[in-house]
Parts: sequence; structure tokens; C-alpha cells
Amino acid sequence: MKNSIVVFRSLAILVILAGAAHLVSYASSKQGIIQESKVSTDAYTNPKSSKEEIPNEIPETDYLEGNWKVNYSTEGFKGAVVYSIKKEGEAFHAYTYQYQDEQGNSEEADGAKTVTINTFDGTTGKGIYTMKYEQELYEIDC
Amino acid sequence: MLELLSKKLDWVDVQYWFHIFNDLSLFYIILPFFVLELIRYAYLKRLNKDLILDSIANVITFGAFFVIEILLGLLAVTKVYFWIYHNFSLPHLDLNWITIITCILLADFAYYWEHRMMHRVGIGWATHTVHHSSTHFNISVAYRFGPLDGISAILFSLPIVMLGFDPLLVLLSEVFVLAFQALLHTEIIGKLTKPVEYIFNTPSHHRVHHGSNRQYWDKNYAGILIIWDRMLGTFEPEVEEVRYGISEPLQSNNPIKVFLHGISRLFRKLKKVDGFKNKLLVFIKPPDWMPKNQDLVNAKSDG
Repeated sequence: MKNSIVVFRSLAILVILAGAAHLVSYASSKQGIIQESKVSTDAYTNPKSSKEEIPNEIPETDYLEGNWKVNYSTEGFKGAVVYSIKKEGEAFHAYTYQYQDEQGNSEEADGAKTVTINTFDGTTGKGIYTMKYEQELYEIDC
Repeated sequence: MLELLSKKLDWVDVQYWFHIFNDLSLFYIILPFFVLELIRYAYLKRLNKDLILDSIANVITFGAFFVIEILLGLLAVTKVYFWIYHNFSLPHLDLNWITIITCILLADFAYYWEHRMMHRVGIGWATHTVHHSSTHFNISVAYRFGPLDGISAILFSLPIVMLGFDPLLVLLSEVFVLAFQALLHTEIIGKLTKPVEYIFNTPSHHRVHHGSNRQYWDKNYAGILIIWDRMLGTFEPEVEEVRYGISEPLQSNNPIKVFLHGISRLFRKLKKVDGFKNKLLVFIKPPDWMPKNQDLVNAKSDG
């Protein structure tokens, strides 16, 4: 068999398999299979710091994983951001998934890691918020 | 259908099911099956000292390989995989049925190419020849590994991580392919029904892969699906009775010799080959390659 045929068929297999996974994932997100959670920044209050740090080893807190929609109502931005939270190792990481404006128009986000939740006991937790401002990355404890 | 395939799954459940097949199958399939094979050998009057020592060597090589794998695996999975995942990956995929199915298929396809490379590249064969050097064919041979067998698997699975699949799922899928493949190392099972033989890798197909008969060299690299071989021109059916082993037999059951013989043969070949460029080519050219001006006996010992 010619090498070119082998290469072409191999690439086709990769594209079909990986494409199927991404297509289904994309289609399901378009259908709005998102875990609804409305967290308004207006309602944000400083969480009480827990005296004892509890690592994310409690399976009961795994419900954090999934897509979470956060509504923002600030001077700079009114709308919502959908974050995709994944447990990687012992920490939860939140990646930007989708931006939505006030009218409900949505745009796919770049998947940037925004929050790392190092400890969470089901009520409170500690983590790092990562933000970019004027080409500089800042990490803020939260 | 879309909803079913994209239904989010819990990591705890997924890891549990992989654990049952990947890890526990050693106890509820592999070991009972090996006992059955020993009984069969005894019944056929083929249970001899060589077979016993060969099986012991297989288990010891697995222990040595496992230690190397743990050291490399921990480093690779915790560092390299996640670094690639966070820096050079397509959008991350959720954990659902379609992701698991496609990840296993991709891991199987990556295994095909890794396996093919191990046979067709000098350094690959130097380690993989260990697996083929047994003149017996039973389930303990599945655990006969060479010292570097785990490294290329890491290289071939990284593209799957780059496609957006979770590194942990990729690792579990790789082990799943290996666990399935282990079950194929047996003479007890003959040919299965035609549809199964057409789609899946079976003991018959894998016996061919271990054959030292010339027509069986470099054939049937598959892990789970034999269709990869059919599609990419490396399929060979089992027709002639298979003679197991390599064309330059090892003739030793010393576990250290078994484990390191491929590497030592590679070094011997390097000594014989003249010129720096040729020495480099020994690593990447097929194992039977020799410079045109050097009329030496080939070290090719494919199975």
C-alpha cells in the first residue's frame, strides 16, 4: 500500500473520531444542555474564611463540575459568562466557555482558565482568580 | 440519541468501570485463564521446565517494566499530559459517552501506530523484541515487556490530549486497550465467527502477529480493532501453523537476559556499523536495515 494512502486514511480516521466528539459536544451545548446556576455579582458578599482548609477530596463536592452561568451586572459589563468547571487532580478549574449579552446573544469563549478552586467544603472555599489587564496576567487570591 | 451521547457522566462512575476491567480483570480473567492453560499444557504433555521458566521470566520482566512505567508514568501524566492539555489543546471535551467511546477508539488507533513503529524502527524493536522472544504463546506472554516499552506509548497518546480529551481518560483508555489485548495471547481459542474476526482483533489474528513464519512478519498490529490493519495494509490471516518466537532465538530463560537482550543486540549492531550517520540510522531505520556496503547478518528478528 502506498505511503500516501496510509497517511490519508490515518488522518481521515483522526478527523472523524475527534470530530465526532467535538461535534456532539458543540451540538449539545447549542441545545442548551447547561446546568443552570445564577450567581449575581450584586449578591456577592465576602465569604467567611474557613478556619481549616479542606482539600477537594470530598466526592460530594464534585457537583461543581459542569457548565455554570454567572450573571454580571457591573458598569463595565452587563450579561453573563458560562464557565466550564473541571476537576483536575485535587483542584477545580473554571474555564471560560461562552459569553452572553443582555439580549441573550452568545459567543464562544476562548477557554481561558479563569479560576482555580483549591479548597471547597460545599459552602466556602479558597482559590485563585486569574485575570488579564493590559497584556499582564494577574493572580488574585479569592 | 444526542442527549444520551452527550449526557454528562461522573468521574467516580467512569473510573469505577475502568477499574473493574483494567485492574480487576487480572484476578477474574487473566489468572484463572492462565491456570486453565497450564492444565491444557499438562493434558497435552507440553508442560515442561522450559515453559515454567519462560512464564516466570515473563512475570519478572513485567515487574521490571512496571517499576519503570510507574516512574515515567507519574512524571508524564501529572506533568507533560496536563501541561499539553492546558497549553496546546483544542477546547476541552466534557466527560460523556461520545467522549469515552471516541477516546478508546483513538487510543486503539494510537496503539496501532505505536505498535507498528515498535516493529519498524530499530530502537523500538530493541525493546519490543522482548515481548516476541518467547517460543510459547499463552497469557503470561502478554506481560513480557521490554525496558522502554512504555515510552513510545506516551508519545503517541499526546496527540489525543491535544485533541481536547482529558489526560486521565486517555490514560484509562490506553490501559483498556492493553487489558483487552492481553486476553488475546492464547492458543485455547480458535477462530471466532466471521463478523467478529472481520472487525475485532482476536486470538487467531494475534497468533499471526507473534509468528516467526516469514509471511507473518510485521502483520496484525491491532489492539482492539483489526480493521486498522485491514485499512492500512498490514493484515494477514492465520493459515499456516504459527511458529512462535523470533528468527534469531534467544535460547535463555534468564529474566535479566530476556529483559535486556534487545538493547544489547542493538549495541552490538552499533559496534559493527561504521560511521556516525550510519550509527544514528540504526536507531530509526527498520531493524533489518544495514548500510549497503556492509554485508553483515541482519539483526532483524521479527515475530
